[in-house]
Amino acid sequence: MNNTKKLSLVALCISTILMGGCGDAETTIIEREPIVETPPTDGGDSGSTPPSNDFLIESMGRLAVTSSESNTVSLIDLDDSTLLDTFTLNHDGSRVYASPSYRYAVVTARNDDMVEFIDGGLWREDHVDHLHDYEQAPQMSDYTLSSSRPTHFVTHDGQSAIFYDGDAETGIPASVHVISDLDITNENDSPASLIYTVNMHGVAEPRGEFLLSTIRRDDAESTSGNTILPDQVGVYHLHDGEYELEKTLETACPDLHGAAQNHDFVLFGCGDGVLVAHEHDGEYESSKIENIDEIAGLRIGSLYSHHDAEVFIGIASNRATGEVFVLNIDPEAGAMEVLDWQAQEGVSPISYAFSYDGNHALVLDNLGGLTILSAHLHDGVNELEFEGRVQLSDEDLSAMPDGHSFNMSVAQNGDYVFVSDPIAQHVLMVHIEDMEIEGDIELDFVPATVTWLGIKDEDH
Amino acid sequence: MRKLSKVASLVLATLSSCTLAQSLEGLVLDANGNPLANANVEIHGSNQSTVTDSAGRFLFENLKAGNTEIHIRAAGHAHLHQDVNLTDAGLSNLKFALSRSPIEVIDIVSTPLHMSSMESSIPISVLSGEALRRQQSATLGDSLEKLTGVHTNFHAKVSSTPIIRGLSGPRVLIAQNGLDVSDVSRVGPDHAVASEASTATQIEVLRGPATLFYGSGAIGGVVNIVDTRVPQSNETKGEWLLETSSVDEQQLASFNITTGLDKFAVYADGFYRKSDDYEVPVMAELDVHDHEHESEDEHGSENKDFFVENSVEESYGFTLGGSYLLNNGFIGASVEQFNREYGIPGHSHGDEEGHDHDDEHSDDEHSEEHSEEVFADMQQTRAQILGEFTFEHPIIKEINLRAGYTDYEHAEIEHGSVGTVFANETYEFRLDALHQTFKDWRGGLSFRYKKSDVEAQGSEAFTPPSSTEMLGVALLEERHFGDILLQLGARIERVTMKANDVMLPMLDADSHDEESDDDHDHEHDHGDEQEITRVFSADHEFTPVTLSVGGVWDFAKGYNLGLSVSRSERAPSASELLSFGPHIGTRTYEVGALFALSEETSEIGLTDSVIDLETASNIDLTLRKTEGDIGFILNLFYNSVDNYYYQIDTGLFADDGHDHGSDEHDGHDHSSHDHDDHDHDSDSQDDEHAGELLVFLFKTDDVILHGFEAQVAWQASSHFKASLFTDYVRARLKDGGDLPRTPPLRFGTQFSYQNESISAHLDITRYQSQDRIAEFETQTDAYTLVDASIAYDLPILNNSVTAYLKGNNLTDTEARVHTSFLKDIAPRPGRNISVGIRGYF
Repeated sequence: MNNTKKLSLVALCISTILMGGCGDAETTIIEREPIVETPPTDGGDSGSTPPSNDFLIESMGRLAVTSSESNTVSLIDLDDSTLLDTFTLNHDGSRVYASPSYRYAVVTARNDDMVEFIDGGLWREDHVDHLHDYEQAPQMSDYTLSSSRPTHFVTHDGQSAIFYDGDAETGIPASVHVISDLDITNENDSPASLIYTVNMHGVAEPRGEFLLSTIRRDDAESTSGNTILPDQVGVYHLHDGEYELEKTLETACPDLHGAAQNHDFVLFGCGDGVLVAHEHDGEYESSKIENIDEIAGLRIGSLYSHHDAEVFIGIASNRATGEVFVLNIDPEAGAMEVLDWQAQEGVSPISYAFSYDGNHALVLDNLGGLTILSAHLHDGVNELEFEGRVQLSDEDLSAMPDGHSFNMSVAQNGDYVFVSDPIAQHVLMVHIEDMEIEGDIELDFVPATVTWLGIKDEDH
Repeated sequence: MRKLSKVASLVLATLSSCTLAQSLEGLVLDANGNPLANANVEIHGSNQSTVTDSAGRFLFENLKAGNTEIHIRAAGHAHLHQDVNLTDAGLSNLKFALSRSPIEVIDIVSTPLHMSSMESSIPISVLSGEALRRQQSATLGDSLEKLTGVHTNFHAKVSSTPIIRGLSGPRVLIAQNGLDVSDVSRVGPDHAVASEASTATQIEVLRGPATLFYGSGAIGGVVNIVDTRVPQSNETKGEWLLETSSVDEQQLASFNITTGLDKFAVYADGFYRKSDDYEVPVMAELDVHDHEHESEDEHGSENKDFFVENSVEESYGFTLGGSYLLNNGFIGASVEQFNREYGIPGHSHGDEEGHDHDDEHSDDEHSEEHSEEVFADMQQTRAQILGEFTFEHPIIKEINLRAGYTDYEHAEIEHGSVGTVFANETYEFRLDALHQTFKDWRGGLSFRYKKSDVEAQGSEAFTPPSSTEMLGVALLEERHFGDILLQLGARIERVTMKANDVMLPMLDADSHDEESDDDHDHEHDHGDEQEITRVFSADHEFTPVTLSVGGVWDFAKGYNLGLSVSRSERAPSASELLSFGPHIGTRTYEVGALFALSEETSEIGLTDSVIDLETASNIDLTLRKTEGDIGFILNLFYNSVDNYYYQIDTGLFADDGHDHGSDEHDGHDHSSHDHDDHDHDSDSQDDEHAGELLVFLFKTDDVILHGFEAQVAWQASSHFKASLFTDYVRARLKDGGDLPRTPPLRFGTQFSYQNESISAHLDITRYQSQDRIAEFETQTDAYTLVDASIAYDLPILNNSVTAYLKGNNLTDTEARVHTSFLKDIAPRPGRNISVGIRGYF
């Protein structure tokens, strides 16, 4: 019995072999989307060109422009001002940011708990012995991140922190994702994350393997007037893909809203001043720059900075009067003062930015004036001073419909800022240092926001 | 359900192996009737073995009655297999006489059926014991090169792989304890084999097709490195060695130890080796390019010492293993960590090297000295589970189980940063099930599954990431018909290979053809043109089949004649099919067989040809004299390989993908170049080709390899032995032309003297010149190597400590290895003296 079973096994083997005959080979080849690389435009005489530049691409970059009329993002090639592609967004009320290394447009849909990505198509890879640039058609990425109410999106030094506020009604706590462009490219399903136990309207600042992120205490303990706002800052450290609380900064920060950082300092806006966190021998220390008298009773709710700039811009608005104070904050000196940007009567600032190299600060106002400031040292305090103003629109701006405004985005590969004008339906390219309008991109839709994408100049 | 009952019956069989107390006592004698001490006596099919005492006596107790096969082996003697019928009363005073054999007979463990160099239909070589310690070197190919029929592809001492009968690379499988070594040494000569000879106990070589046992990758042969990392006995034994060498200031320390208690056995080994750039008798570079090799000029003018730049090596590794010993076998596991860092000579990229080598080679700190050089940093973790069980079961007699996991990575570090990373992650499972002798047939089935994920990332990632799965089943049977042993084998396997990112770039290649004036206009003048890289996903499925028939005829006492006829098929490897990129190890731009060069447009596109299996039809004839004062083994082989994958020179040049910062990089004037004289080995280093590589394309053709091997040994007296050997292979295309890097005719002699405490050897090996060359090759001159060694057993610790002195290349001759990719820039080391001490316990 057993023997016959064994024999039949042998027979089966032999017959298999005979049927297999002389062996078989089958090849299936499917062609996929090709990779298109555009070599440098200055090429030609390779003999005198360092080969290391063979793979670099000279490009102004691209601009992601959202429309006020439809729920779309248009990608514009800044080299020839052509429209590359238009993407319809899945969710209303989305906001668009640039990804940590400016390759992707990051689309956050707060009400739909969704973060999506559009590949701008221009990026750089470090191939160790040379830098390799790529230029491809923009495309929607399959990658999405999802958590409750993505709100604040903060980028610093190749990392972005997405703060999800969570939702008290559904009991979903706040959380943070910290991503780099590589996470987006690799569609990393489990990016570095921090998950709280309560919801809050908070903000997180990524700093290498550290994350300075807000903490909401029990309502009984909280010093915040509005307890959905956190009042403390924690220093979190990344372990196995998750951030763990290493230290809670001593200085409290009631009604915390808004944050920014430069190479040394991380600032958080508080009801009574600005919390300054500073790394010292691997330990974070905190202090407070008290609000000055001019903004007594107000809160600095927004902060702007640049990695290489010494000065932060703080914004405090008086909700009752609509007055907006622009403040000059030097954390090193512990100084805060009102920034005189030589505002004209009846003009209010709407948008703030630093140029790609951090040498200039920009204030865009509601009448289409772009004020250019630069930092100078006065009595040991870095102060931004008025350099000049470029008037971008001469139309009757009282006709500006509700919900529309000028918007700007700074290029990261040159001294340019792009300003969208919803009335003239165009985007102006302004050279910051020269204070001149150097380009005009006509649009066939009303622009809402602009976001620059492309290959960042790594020297800045 | 049936499966379960089978398992249950296996378990029962294990438990029921009853122990009846029968004893077996005997005496082992040599041919002159003198008792033989230290002969190993084994009861076949059990794990019982013993060693004879000084009077040649041995004793087994607790054997079961019935037909018992006794296997006796002793150094310098032929093996003896004898069946005895053990009665219930036991047996005593049995006498076994062993015949002398001047050719050492060593059983191999790499095949499911019992085989040795003297007793099988296919040719086998084994290196073990003292000979292994004498011939071991830093790399596997160099360790084995004195075996008949085996050459090395000598790669400047930092890496080498064995060439068996002219075949190497993806045709020779390297195994560790029967499981694939799973490195990336099969795809590049500068990739070292991730295994160490100094801790091995024996290295087995199957010459000729061994796909029957090992599958597709073994169409040219198998090298199996054996150690006892999963110990089969708890007897305490081990060895240690310390050695230093002059030619490269090498220092080597190694040990291995097996011990245990009761049912448990444990094993540990470790080694450390460090060597500097090695000295050569002449300038390393064959062609004189003074401007490129300033450093050697400096050495030349100062002290007449020449070195092969960047041939340093440092490696260390350790293995831990343990096993549980059963009455009917053992099972155990082991883990090995292997690290190796070595320079890659000839891995210079254009001109950027060779400007700042004002270093003194006597300095030790290579890490600083060579920070500008190209290094490989290799790491491998290997886990193995091995088990062998014998059964009383009516069908199943023996099960051998082998499973392995290997995680391999090596980074090529160029100018202080990681250039290319190669990784190979492999899972493997092998099960050999041997049946009880059935109508005098012995044999069984062998199953094997292997999954490898191989990827390379970086500037030299010439092959896209691929995943290969192999599932094979083989049937092996043998039976004695009178004086003839018939061996039959068949194997079928399924090989699937998936690669999702097969790249076909627009090859920036030019032909250097004088007639075409425009070849440089398109080359670097990209303008605004876009470069398009086509991307493919490629799925391959192969079903290679191997059929083999062999016989050994003991036509007269002490003689046998072996004949083996086989037909083997091989699935091409990922690198042979999918490559597209610069491979600095071979200094060529490699393009796989999935692509072809269009005659009309001179562009490379997808091939129209069918990707097919490589098929080898092989005949082996072996004549042996196994006993007496003179022994010999003569082999003739004829191997006709259809659809042989090999590379041809396209005459095109392509960018090597590296950054050449040098100012001299202006040489795009190829107008003076004469393509016909082109020798890529040296010319691709020329200034005019700096940063460019010849494009080599894989294609298939029918080839024939044939040749012979011969070994004769004469035991002149009990102390003196002389032996001669020779080997030759001719590798040619059926339609005319020769294959590249084919070993030349070689012959040599060894004289040895051995008494109780001294062992001395003198080896003289002649490598003839090779003038049967491929189109792009150059001839290689003949040379003669003289090696000698003497070992003295120190009169301490029961003579178990040996001091030795070795000399290699005593005449300090210039020896360039035809089979080496670096033959023109890295000759063999000059005169070397090694001293060492080793011990056994």
